[in-house]
Amino acid sequence: MPLLNKNVSIVIVFVAQLGYSQQDTNLDSDEEDTLSEEIIFDDDLFGNVFDEPPTQENDSWLDGLTVRIRQQFYGQVNSHSIEPFPGFSFPKNAEIENNRLGINFRFQNSFAPGWLFQASGQTRAFWKDDYEYKANGNNFDAESRINELFVQRSFDQHSIKFGRQTVVWGETVGNSVLDVINHFEFRDFTIIDIEDARLNQWMVVWDYFGEESNWSSFINLYPEFNPAGVRGSPFFFEPTFNFTDYQRDGEVLVEVGTQWKKSFDLSDISFMAAYLYDNQMRFEDPLSGFGDAIGKKNDFILLGFSANRAIGRLLLNFDLAFSHDVLADSFNFPGTSALASPLNLKKDRIGTSFGFEWAIDNEQSLSLGIQAQQLIDEREGLLPGQQLVYEGVYGSWLVRYTNNLLNSDLTIDSTLQGNIDGNSLLASLGVSYTINDNWAVSTQVLSISSNTESPLIFFDEDLRVGVTIEFSF
Amino acid sequence: MIIRKGIVCLTAMFLGAGAFYSDAQELSGREIMQLVDDTSRRSNDSSFNRMQLSSCKFGVTDGRITCAERPRVKSLESVSKNYGAELKDTKSVTITLEPAAERGIGMLSYGYDEAGRDNETWLYLSTLGRVKRIASGDSDEETEPASLFGSEFTTEDTDTGKLEEYSFNVLEETTTSGREVWKIEMIPSEERARKTRYSRQVHYVDKERYVTLRSEKYDRYDKEIKRLMAARVELVNNIWMSRSLTMMNLVTNRLSNMAFVEIYTDLAIEDEFLTQRTLTDAAYRETELEKLRAQLNQ
Repeated sequence: MPLLNKNVSIVIVFVAQLGYSQQDTNLDSDEEDTLSEEIIFDDDLFGNVFDEPPTQENDSWLDGLTVRIRQQFYGQVNSHSIEPFPGFSFPKNAEIENNRLGINFRFQNSFAPGWLFQASGQTRAFWKDDYEYKANGNNFDAESRINELFVQRSFDQHSIKFGRQTVVWGETVGNSVLDVINHFEFRDFTIIDIEDARLNQWMVVWDYFGEESNWSSFINLYPEFNPAGVRGSPFFFEPTFNFTDYQRDGEVLVEVGTQWKKSFDLSDISFMAAYLYDNQMRFEDPLSGFGDAIGKKNDFILLGFSANRAIGRLLLNFDLAFSHDVLADSFNFPGTSALASPLNLKKDRIGTSFGFEWAIDNEQSLSLGIQAQQLIDEREGLLPGQQLVYEGVYGSWLVRYTNNLLNSDLTIDSTLQGNIDGNSLLASLGVSYTINDNWAVSTQVLSISSNTESPLIFFDEDLRVGVTIEFSF
Repeated sequence: MIIRKGIVCLTAMFLGAGAFYSDAQELSGREIMQLVDDTSRRSNDSSFNRMQLSSCKFGVTDGRITCAERPRVKSLESVSKNYGAELKDTKSVTITLEPAAERGIGMLSYGYDEAGRDNETWLYLSTLGRVKRIASGDSDEETEPASLFGSEFTTEDTDTGKLEEYSFNVLEETTTSGREVWKIEMIPSEERARKTRYSRQVHYVDKERYVTLRSEKYDRYDKEIKRLMAARVELVNNIWMSRSLTMMNLVTNRLSNMAFVEIYTDLAIEDEFLTQRTLTDAAYRETELEKLRAQLNQ
């Protein structure tokens, strides 16, 4: 679904076996505008629908299973060179980055009154030329993971969910300052939207549905951190010391949070508070000078407010976040791990994201989101000459345009995003075509521009093109 | 995929007032359509439907309309209830069951009868991970009204009420599909004309059952651009209604059939079911749906 079809993709003509003959069913040109009275409308054109037994008589546990199989080709097609530092240039050749088959499943079953089980997962097979194939010594490789896995119990005004799940806060599309509960993974450029990058965590979520307002609270029983870049991926660079997961050593980490939400006429508002760990660890060199880098966690308090307001075809969004005790020099670049000078200085941060979604007409929509953050008293505690990775106001912006054609079978999706100081720009154009109820194809073109002030300089002038074929049932 | 409110209202548009008005021959076009409209609200109240929405490009074979390709099929489940002093506001929840790629998509709609008050819509998609308010406004002369689930049915086709925004002419009394009908022309007022694609519509209303059997919809050049055909007219809960509606787009040569596979009305539906909870709390939703199904079996 358009607004939702995040599979930015490209259309290729895909020949599918259609069970219906088209030989004798063309309209004469005279009949194209208006059907004559003599044309017979067959009452039973779709009459077989009524021959099926009532649904409750043929329900099966398999009804809750959805499977999606995708073959994806994706690569950087522009051979060029980049110069991240003056006098230091290196070439970037066109190459295939992704050649992989993915199988996603999602299963939902209400196995007893008030009870629900839900699970989803994925398996990826990496074929020749895929970067994970290369990273595996030019051998076939595969990986699997469970995304969602939870049991839900609902009773009276309450709902409790236990297991792997996501919690999403904030209203602004794509880059809300409040959407920080779950960690995320931007493994490569096939995923550039936060909606696709969130990773599930082990949580207990308790929702209370009141008559006038709702509460939603969570306890994260095993907070996780953004995974390090996968060897071979476009985001991977060979670190001096190996990045590892957080070494807990028996330490118990817990995140907690709560949100109060109320809907008014044409508007929704929320207040929230949480105790969290930064999703991005900060890595420090090992004390011994060799071995793995040391991942440092950082806990902080988040207070937030979000609201929206519908005005005709326009929906305004606003988020406000106050973060207490964030690390002043925590470096946060999607898909990579952090490397920063070990400056254990904690500060408060104020952030906002705001924007709009505009339904231009019933096929086209345009959305804008701007995120801006700043440390409060950022220079306080710094030594002369010391600099933070982010100083002043920093953030990002995102514009999305979507056009749904052919009864939404054809979707054109375009995204522009960059940082607010204008150092980088990602421009994406995707087209997806739903061939029938099972088959879909999509294509994506992604262009990156950056100057040396942004880490994206390593991808400056890159042009990526991808095609995905998908079968779901 | 575009999803909009109102799918349940469509059920109502093609219902008949039955035998309440034996002297109906003396009614004006406005009065006849008012009866259809009033009945539709009554039938729409506290209802649970399962629908199949099939769309295809159509052609003509041996003088018969047929699909020229394998139809795209969506299976939907919808619950609706009326509110307000005169039960003229409607809250509805629609869940997509099929196709697999869209399974679980949920839509909550609050439709208000009050002029100038915007309807409200919330959408739930697992990829979004939350309920999201959707902004949508009225269509106008220049823009196509919102499609219902990517079909040829639009929100304008499903609108009920607002009869004061139209004038009516009974063109003739004739027969269609073997039934005696009034042929009623419905022309929008100047103000309404700015919000509609149709310069006029012609409805064929069954004189005995008060069911609209056929509708022709014309653009501003008086060219017929869409045609609605009703079939399988049956008595459901003492209300005559069509269980199979087919909308033909005569410009694109595509058609959509809305088949009301299961229809249940006058059910005890908790107000809480028609809230955002139903979109996010699947355990609650399934439990409440089971309660509704249990009522069906009583």
